[in-house]
Amino acid sequence: MIDRTILEVKNFDVDYGFGEGAVRAVSDVSFSLGASKVLGVAGESGSGKSTLVYGLTRLLRAPGVIVGGEVNFHLSSESAVRTFDILAANEEEIRKIRWSHISIVLQSALSALNPLRRIGREFDEVLRTHDDALSKKQRQERSEELLALVGLRPDRLKRFPHELSGGQRQRIMIAMALALRPELVIMDEPTTALDVVTQREIVSELAELRRQLGFAMIFITHDLSLLVELADDIMVMYAGQIVERAPAQELHDAPRHPYTLGLMNSFPPLHGTRVELQGIPGSPPDLKALPTGCPFSPRCDFAMDKCHQERPPLTLDAGTEHSVACWLHDPSFTGSVPVQLTKRAPQRAGGSR
Amino acid sequence: MTQVQAGQTLLEAKGLSKSFTVKSEGGLFSKRKAVAAVEGVDVSLRAGKILAVVGESGSGKSVLARLLSRIVAPSAGELILNGEVVDLKAHRDLAYAGQVQLVLQDPFAAMNPVRRVGHSLERPLLIHGTPEEQVGPRAHEILESVSLTPPQQYLDRYPHELSGGQLQRINIARALAVDPKVLLADEPISMLDVSVRLGILNLLRSLCDDRNLAIMYITHDIASARYIADEVVVMYAGQIVERSSDTSLIDSPQHPYTQLLIASVPDPSAHGGVAVKAPSGASAAFNIEGCRFSPRCPQALEVCKTNEPPMFEVAPGQTARCWLHATEAQRASVSISDKPIN
Repeated sequence: MIDRTILEVKNFDVDYGFGEGAVRAVSDVSFSLGASKVLGVAGESGSGKSTLVYGLTRLLRAPGVIVGGEVNFHLSSESAVRTFDILAANEEEIRKIRWSHISIVLQSALSALNPLRRIGREFDEVLRTHDDALSKKQRQERSEELLALVGLRPDRLKRFPHELSGGQRQRIMIAMALALRPELVIMDEPTTALDVVTQREIVSELAELRRQLGFAMIFITHDLSLLVELADDIMVMYAGQIVERAPAQELHDAPRHPYTLGLMNSFPPLHGTRVELQGIPGSPPDLKALPTGCPFSPRCDFAMDKCHQERPPLTLDAGTEHSVACWLHDPSFTGSVPVQLTKRAPQRAGGSR
Repeated sequence: MTQVQAGQTLLEAKGLSKSFTVKSEGGLFSKRKAVAAVEGVDVSLRAGKILAVVGESGSGKSVLARLLSRIVAPSAGELILNGEVVDLKAHRDLAYAGQVQLVLQDPFAAMNPVRRVGHSLERPLLIHGTPEEQVGPRAHEILESVSLTPPQQYLDRYPHELSGGQLQRINIARALAVDPKVLLADEPISMLDVSVRLGILNLLRSLCDDRNLAIMYITHDIASARYIADEVVVMYAGQIVERSSDTSLIDSPQHPYTQLLIASVPDPSAHGGVAVKAPSGASAAFNIEGCRFSPRCPQALEVCKTNEPPMFEVAPGQTARCWLHATEAQRASVSISDKPIN
């Protein structure tokens, strides 16, 4: 596989509303994604993780407005790589890219499927809209092939959404997303509404599908432990900003942002001795009234004076792939970094096997 | 009211069952059939103890909570509150509601959106006969008990002005307002942000310890059950399939379903993907002969297809509803064959 970048996002900003009352939901987000890589995006509700991908795919609805930044998608159609400026494209151009090059799977499959249509008709429409050369028979065959890909029997095409279980519906959504062999699939909390056993099945199926088809994936979830298993890189968002980005295992073993550490310690472990954990004090941020300085500072155990005054930039630690937006890791910081947030932190408390 | 001793059984269910009638597949005039959403469940809720009920969606765990709170009437079985058998034919009276309270999953849906928090907190006090002049001070007191201070600041707010975590604390406060003995918490953290979940779990634990409350904590998140519970039961398709008098069933699960459940939990310490082959497709089967998990069970025996297993002791204080843990003689007594089928 060629090591190339397929998505580049620079200084991306999204607001909800205009003028005085505007709320910045995604703020100064920059990242890039390599072909066939999995980028995990972790964050709580209101962190801007969903808004970010709606913005990237231009699916954002009013009052959401993209107010700044650049999104370049490097597609590999017709043997050559072509750069596609997503923000400059018109509606018609975007429509051609969507589904055939970028597709998206949403959290609630029940609301994404038309309750009055049989599954087969949804598939048929996707295939017909994007490739009118296919005959009805070919479309039927392709639909059955797609269902087989996600482990469903062909007779499911005759069913209505309400006749299927949550896991089956989510599989249908994944099969539809893959219908036109996209290079990038965006998954917005695809397993949050499912129970763990079904989640496990779907996640292992996704890994297998990626091995076969080689698409890149942006996987959004609030479940950091799931991402550690699934993603190559993890990006942690808080109040619309990226606060940390690192290779998955490294982020898990040695988180450097206090928020990432707090998030990690919010999941009680399945092994080891039971110890009391504290989670993160305070409430998730209110985007309408963000504090000056670092948005996490009011909940942070390590906050210093500077944190309340100035917002830390996302800085790449030289010689690594680990970026963090925290004054504790800024070159200007002269004190000692708390031991939990140092480069080689011990495993979290109680997490040892 | 007499003082309760820690460990004393406050609410007990014996053979509790609930079946719902549903239309079977096959059109307008097809026969209706009964689905046993909860079947033969025995649980005891003890003062100062948290019982965790773990199960996936459709396992009957929420129906169980509604049966125990008497919002839904059981089809069979009995409830024993403070040693007295509850008359299940009669309507749920105030006295029962005053002792057994339910906290629901969605804190936003549980509050009246057009009333201030104060109104929602004071109503149960008035209904349960708190003299009017004591209602205000009592509301302050209970908000403080769930660490919402200063209380006045919360009493004057509308639900939409508060975060999910704060609202769930208020819901718990409201349930505690009437000083119940038993608290049934149905997935109290699953709708909340990850960072505030532990706060709610720690709150439940300390309320349980400080007030000698008996808590039933219903969840699909087995790690949180391990974190907070004293005893654990696992439900599958309406039945309890495994139980332990501590959390040992999580550390050493014996029922194949519990094993599957635990192997499915994302575990960052096992990077690279654990090889769990979850037998896919089949959702929980309610109306089958034999063990309800047998269609999905990788270790199913012939006997599992035909005979429903009873609970077998698998370790001290731990029982599992699984033929794999029966002796040869026990298996032979119900079936002619126990050859593996796959």
